[in-house]
Amino acid sequence: MFWKNFNFSLTDKAPDKAARLGDAEKGLVIFDTVEEAIKAEKIIKAAGYTCKLVAPPPRLRKGCDLALEINLMEQGAMEKALQGKVIYNGIHPLNGVAELLNAVKVTNYDEYVMVKAGNMKLVFAKKGGLIVNTSGGGCPDIPYLNIMLVGQKLSEAPRPREMAHTLCGLMLDRAFEVALNIWEGGMEHAADRGNRSR
Amino acid sequence: MLLIAGIVPDNEYPLTVGKVTQAEDGRSLLTDGRRIPCAQGTAAMLSTALAVTKYLGLEAPYAVLAGDTGSGTGTRQIYNYLIKNITKLSPQVLSLHYCLPILTLMQQLHLAVREVPQKPLLIADAGSMYAAKASGLAPQFDLFTPDASELAFLADPEAIHPAYISNYLFEGDITKAPEFIQQAYRINGAAKVMLVKGSVDYIAAHGQVLEKVDEPNVPELECMGGTGDTITGMVSAFIYAGFALEQAAIISAKANRTAGLVTKVTPASHVGELIQQLPRVLKENLCSWSGLCTR
Repeated sequence: MFWKNFNFSLTDKAPDKAARLGDAEKGLVIFDTVEEAIKAEKIIKAAGYTCKLVAPPPRLRKGCDLALEINLMEQGAMEKALQGKVIYNGIHPLNGVAELLNAVKVTNYDEYVMVKAGNMKLVFAKKGGLIVNTSGGGCPDIPYLNIMLVGQKLSEAPRPREMAHTLCGLMLDRAFEVALNIWEGGMEHAADRGNRSR
Repeated sequence: MLLIAGIVPDNEYPLTVGKVTQAEDGRSLLTDGRRIPCAQGTAAMLSTALAVTKYLGLEAPYAVLAGDTGSGTGTRQIYNYLIKNITKLSPQVLSLHYCLPILTLMQQLHLAVREVPQKPLLIADAGSMYAAKASGLAPQFDLFTPDASELAFLADPEAIHPAYISNYLFEGDITKAPEFIQQAYRINGAAKVMLVKGSVDYIAAHGQVLEKVDEPNVPELECMGGTGDTITGMVSAFIYAGFALEQAAIISAKANRTAGLVTKVTPASHVGELIQQLPRVLKENLCSWSGLCTR
């Protein structure tokens, strides 16, 4: 049951090898686009290495972009895993990287549930699980994702992550994931949620 | 000229520049004869700005639009067009909206705007606001219209995007807005005037809250995609009409809430329903809110 496993902490405290690494050991894979970063994360994890998506430091940033934090000691293996599969600009030592916001808030309305992840919100109907609204965010994939998601059932809708290009899209995917978990966990539990955060 | 720039969620939509008109169906908009898809975002902003300019008897907004679903292609077309043509266009108000936050383009546009003999009033929301803040240009703007999450981003000296704000800032609800507003001004993350959209709307300048708008209280508005866009569209139009920045912001906050109330919005309502009620809301209230009682 989803709710029994759901940890309502304000930050993602999940054990993460990369998170425990000293700064000197951390490296960043820098990409031109968010899609490439997301693709690389999947490849690196599938290859059995630890990594996480983070904000690049100001000196490397371009806008709505992501970087992949890795163990720099494994740089060779990372390059081998990514070679020919992902386009990236380079791998650099870490310097002052921020962590992607991982706060989620759930609000109950009479007939609807609103899930807010970072700056993005998704609203679905308790009866039927229909996505009725998405809001928040200012990146250019957000109006498109709104069109693609509203009117679809949570259980049948495409994942925002598969269509998103930007950080706002990634945050909407987090809202979607929580909403789907709520829906699949049974709406009888949603009433117990109130307004809470993790 | 009120010039509004933003993306359209359709990759096939070419760079389009022109005056905005209502299509025959009464719902969608046309620019240079090309239909703008009905959606949250810049389309909702344009619809609202058009409703207000029409009500006030002003020239309709001009738009610079291009298709972009996240790759930044349309964003680059829009910004490059503005950089090249802003002096020729010479708008009184330039309102920058949904786009990919590309910092170098924002910096180039800012330099181009500085060359315009009659400097336009600058408004930014959404991705354009992110780019303005992240490139250190926030104080050069006349108005930002962030929501609570975006305010936290503006108040975070390290953040380059609202998805990367510190958790302690995200925890703060809208009641912490005065504190965040002060901080945003302190770190040069704020425009001259701020309209913070939320369950309570705050209008601020020089680091201080000038006005709180919390009535009517319509919590369902937070659920609806596009209700922030309607406020930004309204305030752009009122500023274009000659209202002071602060007054335009206060009126827009009140009108958005009142439109939500009379529309009886639910969490499933579409922003178009709210926009349709705006002429009625302005007719019934603008005189008492602003002293403008001629219509």
